[in-house]
Amino acid sequence: MDPKFGFFVQGVGAVTPIGATAKETWDELVLGTEAVRQLLPKGFGGRSYYYSAVPAKFTTAAGRQPRLRRSGEISLLGVSAGLAALSDAGIPLEEASRGSIVFAIACGGVDYTRRFYHEVLTEGANAASPLLFPETVYNAPASHLAALLKIDGRDYTLVGDSSVGLSALNFASQLLAIDPALPFCVVVGVEEADWVLADGFATWRMASNQSSFPVFGPSEGTILAESAAAVVLSRSGSLRLVGTSAGLPFFSQKEAPAALAELAAQVCDGRTPAGILSSANGTFADRVEEAVFASGFASVPVYAHKPAIGDSLGASAVLQLVLAKFALEQQKLPPTLHAGHRLQTVSRAVTDMHGDEVLITSVGFNQQVNAALVGR
Amino acid sequence: MSDNIKMQRVFVTGYGIVSPLGGDNAENLKSLRSGTDCVSPVTAFDVSKTRCRSAGQVSDEWLKEPMTRKSRRLDRSSLMMLQATREAVRTAGDFSPEIMVIATSSGGMSNGERFYRSLLEPSSRGGAAQAVANYMAQKPVLDVQAKFGWRIPAQIVSNACASGTNAIGHAFQLVRAGLYDSVMCGGYDPLSELVFTGFDSLQAATPDKIRPFDRDRNGLVLGEGAALLTLESEKAAAARRVTVLGEIVGYGVSTDNYHLTQPNPSGIGPKLAMERALADAHLDPASVDYVNAHGTATVFNDATEGKAISELMPGVAISSTKSMMGHALGGAGAIEAVFSVLAILHQFIPPNINFRQPDPGWTFRVVGNAEEPAKIRRVVSNSFGFGGANATLVLQAA
Repeated sequence: MDPKFGFFVQGVGAVTPIGATAKETWDELVLGTEAVRQLLPKGFGGRSYYYSAVPAKFTTAAGRQPRLRRSGEISLLGVSAGLAALSDAGIPLEEASRGSIVFAIACGGVDYTRRFYHEVLTEGANAASPLLFPETVYNAPASHLAALLKIDGRDYTLVGDSSVGLSALNFASQLLAIDPALPFCVVVGVEEADWVLADGFATWRMASNQSSFPVFGPSEGTILAESAAAVVLSRSGSLRLVGTSAGLPFFSQKEAPAALAELAAQVCDGRTPAGILSSANGTFADRVEEAVFASGFASVPVYAHKPAIGDSLGASAVLQLVLAKFALEQQKLPPTLHAGHRLQTVSRAVTDMHGDEVLITSVGFNQQVNAALVGR
Repeated sequence: MSDNIKMQRVFVTGYGIVSPLGGDNAENLKSLRSGTDCVSPVTAFDVSKTRCRSAGQVSDEWLKEPMTRKSRRLDRSSLMMLQATREAVRTAGDFSPEIMVIATSSGGMSNGERFYRSLLEPSSRGGAAQAVANYMAQKPVLDVQAKFGWRIPAQIVSNACASGTNAIGHAFQLVRAGLYDSVMCGGYDPLSELVFTGFDSLQAATPDKIRPFDRDRNGLVLGEGAALLTLESEKAAAARRVTVLGEIVGYGVSTDNYHLTQPNPSGIGPKLAMERALADAHLDPASVDYVNAHGTATVFNDATEGKAISELMPGVAISSTKSMMGHALGGAGAIEAVFSVLAILHQFIPPNINFRQPDPGWTFRVVGNAEEPAKIRRVVSNSFGFGGANATLVLQAA
C-alpha cells in the first residue's frame, strides 16, 4: 500500500500539438480539435507512420536560451512546459531555485540517439559527433531546466513506460514528504517522436499506419505525438492529490486489469470519482481500462485525450493530470474523438461532470500501470 | 530532513553484486582486496575505430540462467540484475521488498542498437521485437520481480553516472522517513556500443590504463555491472532478526549548472553534495575514514573532485575502485556502495590501482595499488554525472 501524501497542484503547463499552453490545449480538446497528423520522415523498408508535432513557434522562447542552443526537441519541450507551470503557479524565476525537479521520460532523446548511432554505423566510430552524444542522456532535459532555474539541489529523471508520469508525481510527493523544508517540486513529463520509435511500436502491433485511430473500439494501434506537460506540486493549491501511487507491474496482459483495478481502488479509497481521464490509445491498454471501468466505475464518464493529440508516452500521464485540473474547474469532459462502442460511458460529446474528484488511469506499453485521484 | 519527522535508522541487511571483478559477492571481494585489474579488450562490438579499446566486462559465463522459454529472451541487463538479486536475497535472508528503487544510465541501449541494426540490415530482423521490449529501462527490474514472485512498484532513476547513488540515497530517505520499511535499491548498466563510442567521441576515454587521481591520468574506461542493497528500517530488521551489515546515515545531492558534461572547475558541485550528505548524517568531515571516490580518471573530473575532497576532508584516505573495473555509469554508484559496505565489514581500504604519483596540491592520501588494512567506521561514496548530477552517500558500521 502506498503512503498517503495529500499535496497540491499549484500550477500547470503544457505544450502540445494543439496548444502552446495548457489552457489552449484544453480549449481545443473541448472544441473537438484533432491534431494535424504528418508523416514522420521516412525510415526504412517503405514503412510510414503519422505523428503529431508541436509547432516550432510553441518552443521558440525556450530555444532562445543559450544553454539550449544545441539541445534536442525533447529539452525544448520539457523546459517550455516546466517554465509555464512555474509561471502558472505564480513562482517567479528568481525564486525557483528553492524547488526540485522530477522529469518523467519513456524513450528520451531518440532523435539525437538515432542520428549519433547512425553516424557510428555508417561513417565509423571515429566520425561520431561529440555534440550529439551528451543530449542522448535521459537526464539532459532535466539538467537544462535545472540550469535555467539555478536549482543546485535535487533534480531527478525517472524513466518507465507511458505510466511514468504518475510515478514521477508520486516520487515528487515522496520528496516533499521527506523534506518539509522543500517548498515545491516541478514535475515534467516529456516525449519526442521519431520514425524508429514508431517502428518499434509497430513491431509489437501498437502503431497505427493511419492518420487517426479509434479508442475503445478495434485495436488499430496508436499514433505518436510530441508533447510536454508539467505541474508544480506544493503544499497548497487549488487541485489536491487525494491519492497517488508508485505504480504496479503486470507480467502478462491478462494480469493488467487486476493491477489497475487494485491501484484505482487504492487511490479512490471508497470514493466515486466524477469522471475518469483515461490513457486509452488504441492498443491493448483500452481493453485493460474497459474491464476496470466497466466493473468498478460503471456509471462514471470517461474521457481519453490520445485520439485528439496522439500518444506522447512519457508526457501523457502528466498531461492527463493537467487536463484534470480544467475538467474539475469547468465540470465537464471534452468529447473523446473516434470513440468505439466497447465502453458505454465514454464521453462522445462535451459531457457534464458532477463532483469534486477525478480519477486518472495509465496503462503503460511495457508492463506498468498507475492511477491517481485528484480533487478540487 | 525535518526534526518533526520521526527518523528511522536505515540498515543494510544484504547486498548482491556482479561486476567485472566477479560474478558473485565472494569473487568481487577477492578481486577488490587483491587489486585485480579487470579491464580487458572489448569483444562485444567493433572498437577498431575508437581510441579506447578496452573496458571492464562481465563474463557471460557468470550469467547463466536455467534454460527455459522465458530465460532465453532475457537480456544481458536482466541476467546481471537477476544474479545480483540472488546474491542480495541470499545475504539478506528471507527478504521481501515493498518497493524497488533502481538506477540506470543507458538502460537497454544495446537493444536499441540491435533494433537499429536490424533496420539497416533487413536480413537480421529476427529478434527485433524482443530488442524493443528489452529496450525499456524498467524491463530488467520487472524480470527480477517476475522471477522472484514480487509484484511491487519500481522507480527507475536515470541521473546519468550519479544514478546509482541517487537511487540508494532516495531509498534511504524513504525508509528513514518511515514511508517504507524494506526497499531493494541499486543500479545496473551494461556496456553498449553507442555509449562506448560516445565517451570516445568526447575524448573522455583513454587508450591507456585508467589511472584515477594520478598526475598523468588521461581518461576513463567504461565498465558494466549490477549491484543491489537491501535496506530495512531498524524495526523491520529487528523483526526478522537479520544480521545488520552496515548503516546508511547520510545522503546529499547537488546540481552543478556549469555545463552539460563538464563540472565547474571550482569543485562546488562535489563539495556541496559531500557537505550536504555529512550534514544530513550530522557528522563532522573529520570523522570520515575513507572516501570511495567517483574518480573517473578524466583530467577535469578528478581535478574537481580532488579539489572538493582536499578542502573538505584533508588527510582522508581515498581510492577509486573504477581503477580496477572501469566506470559502470548508472551501476557505478551501487557497485561502489557495495564496495563501501565491504570495506566496513572487512576493515580495509580497496586499492586505487595503476597509481603512480599524486597531483600536487591535493591534501588527501590516495591508497594506491594494494589494499590497506584500516579501522573503517565511516565511508563517503561519491558519484557525479552528466547534467551536473552529483550525489554522495555516507555509510557507517552498524
